[in-house]
Amino acid sequence: MTIPHQQLADALLALAAEPGDTLTPGAFLARLCAHSVELLGVDAAGAVLVEHGRSSRHVGASNPEVARLEQDAVKWRQGPAHDCWNSGAALTETALDPAVQRARWPRYAPRALALGHERVTALPLHLRDACVGSLVLLRGGGTPLSPDRLALGRALTEAAAISLLRENQLLESRTRTAQLEHALTSRIIVEQAKGVLSTRMGGTVDEAFDHLRHYARSHRLKVADVAVDIVAGRPLPDWPYQQDEPPRA
Amino acid sequence: MAAPMESWGEAGRLLSIALQRATRAAERARQQTEFAERHERLAARTGREFHRSMAATHRRIAERHLTTASLQHSYAASLAAWSTGHGDRPRFMAEVAAACGTASAALTLIDSDLNQLAVATSDQLARDAQDLEYVLGIGPAREAAEHKQPVLASGAALDGRWPGYGTGLDSLGLCSVAALPLKAPNGCIGALTLFDPLPGRAETGELDEVAGAVTDNVLLGPDADPDLYGGVDLRAVVHQAAGVMSGRTHCSVDEALALIKARAFARGESAEAVARRIVYEAMDLD
Repeated sequence: MTIPHQQLADALLALAAEPGDTLTPGAFLARLCAHSVELLGVDAAGAVLVEHGRSSRHVGASNPEVARLEQDAVKWRQGPAHDCWNSGAALTETALDPAVQRARWPRYAPRALALGHERVTALPLHLRDACVGSLVLLRGGGTPLSPDRLALGRALTEAAAISLLRENQLLESRTRTAQLEHALTSRIIVEQAKGVLSTRMGGTVDEAFDHLRHYARSHRLKVADVAVDIVAGRPLPDWPYQQDEPPRA
Repeated sequence: MAAPMESWGEAGRLLSIALQRATRAAERARQQTEFAERHERLAARTGREFHRSMAATHRRIAERHLTTASLQHSYAASLAAWSTGHGDRPRFMAEVAAACGTASAALTLIDSDLNQLAVATSDQLARDAQDLEYVLGIGPAREAAEHKQPVLASGAALDGRWPGYGTGLDSLGLCSVAALPLKAPNGCIGALTLFDPLPGRAETGELDEVAGAVTDNVLLGPDADPDLYGGVDLRAVVHQAAGVMSGRTHCSVDEALALIKARAFARGESAEAVARRIVYEAMDLD
């Protein structure tokens, strides 16, 4: 069976979605798995994404049983997804025979077999130069996965990688932009607070800043947070200095 | 003016930082070029579009790191000259201006509501020109940031677009302006404004490359210095004055800031000049 070009193009586009498409990692992986089942003619697919070293893992699958299996496999640190991610290389089609059950995946293999899957293939998901997860393709018996289908599977994981990379860059940039804006805004509010205080207390802006800093330190607060309250005219608990009428909002 | 004795140490310290940043930027460019070459080899072997597009992305990032390395390197050279007693303390923005083919450039950082948060300039002329936009509240930097598009204007068209701005630039001896948005993937963090840029330069895309390098690698990247070696000015005294006015008259700081700018515009002064009188000479705006 050949895949209509349109169907393939749709799948790749759906994976390489534009930034702003707010899929959770799990939903994104489930989408990758659904397209894999549809385009590669496998019975089921599961995918695992490892974020920020090893601290958090996301799982998606084409059906709930496989999702549970792959979630358990993450806990067991066992199975095709784990091996593929560990090595960073594709795991060629492996039959879940008794030898594999005993030696390699004593917990994974029986569960997969019970779900009717006899053969498994895993493809790595690469981000920049690191392997960040894998796509597991599960099938019943019959003929092995053709080289064409395997190449198509790689195209899907590559499209997914581009999308992940973009999402990753967007997240980093969002964080850095927010940090920059926050840092500048905080410094501006501290300057404003110095001005407000100097007027209320009748001293210089430098003296006002000394009071502000001293108050923040003795109350274990951030100078910028105290400054926000001063500028907004909110009363400060046990403010030792003279306070008069707050500004109108 | 020669660097006084105590600034030698400062020059040496900054020089070492600039050289380290130049080296790291060059190293990142080299690494990205390697990634690109690997994908190009794979593209040649497999013919797959994925590798071609990844190679192009890595080449673009490499180019941006090279531009950054070059800015840091020329800044290091200026610091080295200063440390031996030549000229004033160099400004990083002067290197940015030179890379854009002009002597006067201003970098404006804005918040998501288009308020100016900070400014850095290559020289006093650029500062005076950017102060004009600050006081007026309209101008090319704000427009470039708002529409995320480069803005070019010169001569009589300036006043038509931003009433008062062209006349102000003219009185500073400037006649044209180009403003480039500082685009981050999720928005715009400010603008780079070039005064009297070389004709034709703004259309080549070279300037976008400099603006991109400053945004990605100098302001936001993993090796970022959003303070531009101490060259970024928050206009502290203006915000202090807004606080003083707010404390005195019980208006909000935003209203006070608008009053200070209006007074500066009416008197043909900078907002700082008005602010200093409020803070240090107890001037009232009424």
